Amino acid sequence: MGNNEYMQNAVTGWMVPHGEHSDIVMSTRIRLARNLRGFRFPIAFSDEQAEEIGKLVSDALLNGGKTGYAYTRMSDLKALGRQTLVEKHLISPQLADAVHYGAVLLSEDETVSIMVNEEDHLRIQCIYPGLQLENAYRKADETDNLLESRLPYAFDEEFGYLTSCPSNTGTGMRASVMVHLPALTMTKQINRIIPAVSRLGMVVRGSYGEGSEAPGNVYQVSNQLTLGKSEKEILAELANIVSRIIVHERKSRELLLGRSRLSLENRVFRALGTLSYARLLPSAEAARCLSDVRLGIDLGLIEDVDMNILNELMVFMQSGFLQNFEGGELTAEELDSSRAKLIRERLRQRAADGEPHPDEP
Amino acid sequence: MLCENCKERPVSVILKQETPGGPVERNLCDQCAFNLQTFSVNPNQEPMSIQQFLSQWLTGEAVQPQALEAQVMPECPECGLTFHRFLEIGKFGCPVCYETFRERLPRVFGKLHNGSTVHRGKIPASFNEKMAIKKQIEFLRISMQDAIQTERFEQAAVLRDEIKEWKRKLSAGPEEGGAADGE
Repeated sequence: MGNNEYMQNAVTGWMVPHGEHSDIVMSTRIRLARNLRGFRFPIAFSDEQAEEIGKLVSDALLNGGKTGYAYTRMSDLKALGRQTLVEKHLISPQLADAVHYGAVLLSEDETVSIMVNEEDHLRIQCIYPGLQLENAYRKADETDNLLESRLPYAFDEEFGYLTSCPSNTGTGMRASVMVHLPALTMTKQINRIIPAVSRLGMVVRGSYGEGSEAPGNVYQVSNQLTLGKSEKEILAELANIVSRIIVHERKSRELLLGRSRLSLENRVFRALGTLSYARLLPSAEAARCLSDVRLGIDLGLIEDVDMNILNELMVFMQSGFLQNFEGGELTAEELDSSRAKLIRERLRQRAADGEPHPDEP
Repeated sequence: MLCENCKERPVSVILKQETPGGPVERNLCDQCAFNLQTFSVNPNQEPMSIQQFLSQWLTGEAVQPQALEAQVMPECPECGLTFHRFLEIGKFGCPVCYETFRERLPRVFGKLHNGSTVHRGKIPASFNEKMAIKKQIEFLRISMQDAIQTERFEQAAVLRDEIKEWKRKLSAGPEEGGAADGE
């Protein structure tokens, strides 16, 4: 059906489970903040300056034949189109709000996105699946070098790359790793890990939504400091912390499986049941069930479901995607119904691919 | 069940809160939940925003001299941002702000970046090249002076031409190297 095709087209590079530790690490993202000399930052610039920056950047990247980038102004997109890009993590909510002057340059495979006139003139972002800090940084660095050779960067010997917010000054780099930590969350160890990590100059927070809640037990671990350390040092420290978190998560999973296998099985299969048959699925419940099912897959309890179910459906079940798919605005109940249908159909695929599903006609 | 705060109205809100001592669940009516403002930011829970942080830092430490200082506070010639306003909004207005507030910034960065005040990461290639050329010119100039002093005029002429060549490269380079060139 159209449903599958729509989702196939919407799957972007980072959602495919590849790369190291892809049972726990969902994706790796590098973001570099850059600005152009001679222009005020977006917080204070004029419309003319905004226009000029957009032109400079697109010329720098698009001139000279094959580049593989597509330039899209926020003003050319409908609100839903912008929201969809946010839900795919290709642009930030802030850029989506910059309707008048924001733009994005997307690479063909959507691994690199360059946001123009977000908080800074340029935000180079590179997302890879799994744990690939070095690869993602290399790609971002290459893109940065290319842009730098054609644009007058604002750089200072003492302070490094000059950014609008002092919390980005220096390397302008934010490296983050998205991790699925169901066992650490179930055993509440995550509450001890979060403050410990913050003492090391890193942050752990929920990856979807705001605040300390982490829907789907998906967290984002990222560096907080950008000044006084080189990119390499920051990446090494982050890699170190993430690998320690991974070890903890694995240990907790084993512990849960060893101590309470039956109740764990009960939990993951109930979740699978809910996702397979529910007619109304609020997003919080869907996220919880997706996380449980994914855990079941990782532990080998559930065998006939794709492991990228969590990566993909956490994105596709969001309201922008659903409304885009249904082709219009939806009420809360319609959203829950559309979400339930989407997930049901996605799960039925496994039945079509593998053994027949007994209960679905 | 009645609201655990007012003990009058029925419970309609179950509030789960992450506290340092573990998660706490409170059963409240919607009115109490709203009035208690537990929905608003809990300082123990949310990392402080930079804006909050900077303005608290300012009001906390500079309450007295604030009025006086406001008059001598530097103002960015490019975008008009004052240092005072910078602390309020927590954002720079343009790259020139860094130059304008340079002397005051180490204190700001030190607090934000765990004591660090100087960049140790990547340097743009063009900026690096330019620094290298400038150093080279300086070195050649000293050698030339030395040659003139010791009356080795032929060598001085060679050095002069070499300096000229480097200067030409410097001005032909891809734009300027960086904001701190001081040109």
